[in-house]
Amino acid sequence: MRYNRQIILSEVGEKGQEKLGHAKVLIIGAGGLGAAILPYLTAAGIGEIGIIDDDSIEITNLQRQVIYRNDAIGKSKASEAKEMALSLNPSIQINAITDTLNAKNAISLFEYYDIMVDATDNLHTKYLINDACVVTNKPFVYGSVFKFQGQVSVFNFQNGPTYRCLFPDETSNSENCVDAGVMGISVGIIGMFQASEVLKMLLGMGNVLSGKLLIYNMLTNEQQKFDLVKNNSISLSRLDFEKKYNTVLEISAKQALEHIDNPDVLFLDVRNEEELPEISLPNSIQFPLSDLEENLDQLDSNKMILVYCQTGIRSKKAVEILKKNQFLKVQSIAGGALKLQGVIANNAVSVL
Amino acid sequence: MLDVKYFGAVAEKTKVDGETLAISNLSLQELVDELEQKYDLSSLSYSIAVNQKMVQDTNSYMLMSNDVVALLPPFAGG
Repeated sequence: MRYNRQIILSEVGEKGQEKLGHAKVLIIGAGGLGAAILPYLTAAGIGEIGIIDDDSIEITNLQRQVIYRNDAIGKSKASEAKEMALSLNPSIQINAITDTLNAKNAISLFEYYDIMVDATDNLHTKYLINDACVVTNKPFVYGSVFKFQGQVSVFNFQNGPTYRCLFPDETSNSENCVDAGVMGISVGIIGMFQASEVLKMLLGMGNVLSGKLLIYNMLTNEQQKFDLVKNNSISLSRLDFEKKYNTVLEISAKQALEHIDNPDVLFLDVRNEEELPEISLPNSIQFPLSDLEENLDQLDSNKMILVYCQTGIRSKKAVEILKKNQFLKVQSIAGGALKLQGVIANNAVSVL
Repeated sequence: MLDVKYFGAVAEKTKVDGETLAISNLSLQELVDELEQKYDLSSLSYSIAVNQKMVQDTNSYMLMSNDVVALLPPFAGG
């Protein structure tokens, strides 16, 4: 009943509604753009929506971030946004993430969600979103506002152009709303364009704004589209990402165990010998973290080394040690031996 | 004759959204150099489109009469 008015559209139908119900969308930023995008995606029945922001609501936000009530000043944006969304549509799941998006959490978050929606207010995070979308092969719904104008595009959609193809110069600086000023309606319009692109991608209808930059001017009502050119020389692997953002990336236990029979992969256990559970893998070796540096000569630097400890903390330190010593292909297994054991127990992989 | 359109922070500097210039037969880079000097745009970063299509190699792109050039800076607000 709730979705009747869109289900009766032939472009949507019951099948389309089901697609929306199975989709997971991450909205990065719960400011002006996020406040426009969230209620419409919520109302349309996107099955699971993540909203990430570590800010609290300030009185100067309310002129454009219209989902927040005056009495919520001082409260967490992500939490308030979640409460608003669930009161609008309690049949979906909303994940409030009170954190900033950073190089450490971006990859695992992006691996979980299907579509990333940029509702941020700074260029640095837009490059991070772009790069993490490229690494995880997910579409990036870009939206941004300057005074009375807004830009919208969908990057990295089906191998289409990315944000770096359009704006390769990362050192540029551009003012945000705090510095430049903005009308609430401008961010509302641009956020609505973004929400529309999300629904079009999920429903497979219309033309997704991939390979195009749309610019809307609220004062003149002029709307223009520019054709983007894919720059194939800009590519980014997981290792490039790690180097660029100086971070240690993790691999999930499930993904790690897919390499169980791979002769080019070595599993390195950095726990002490007595630690349980015992994980017996054919291509594995054990050195406690404290002894790792003196045993480096026993590791083959040509192999991809997947490091684990009990929970995934010591293994990150081990990865740092290995990288310092010119081992370039190393990753830490998130959740460590406990996660590995869980995956093995669930018969997700067969251990010989 | 060339049409040039300005957006965002670039339009703030030029104080107009666009203009028609009585020039042609020059490269896109030569036009950009001229505009940078005229409006002091060197502190800004922007991408360039001709006839609604982004152009990366501005040096080898020769402009023709009636071309429409757009200077597109990234926006950051949200």
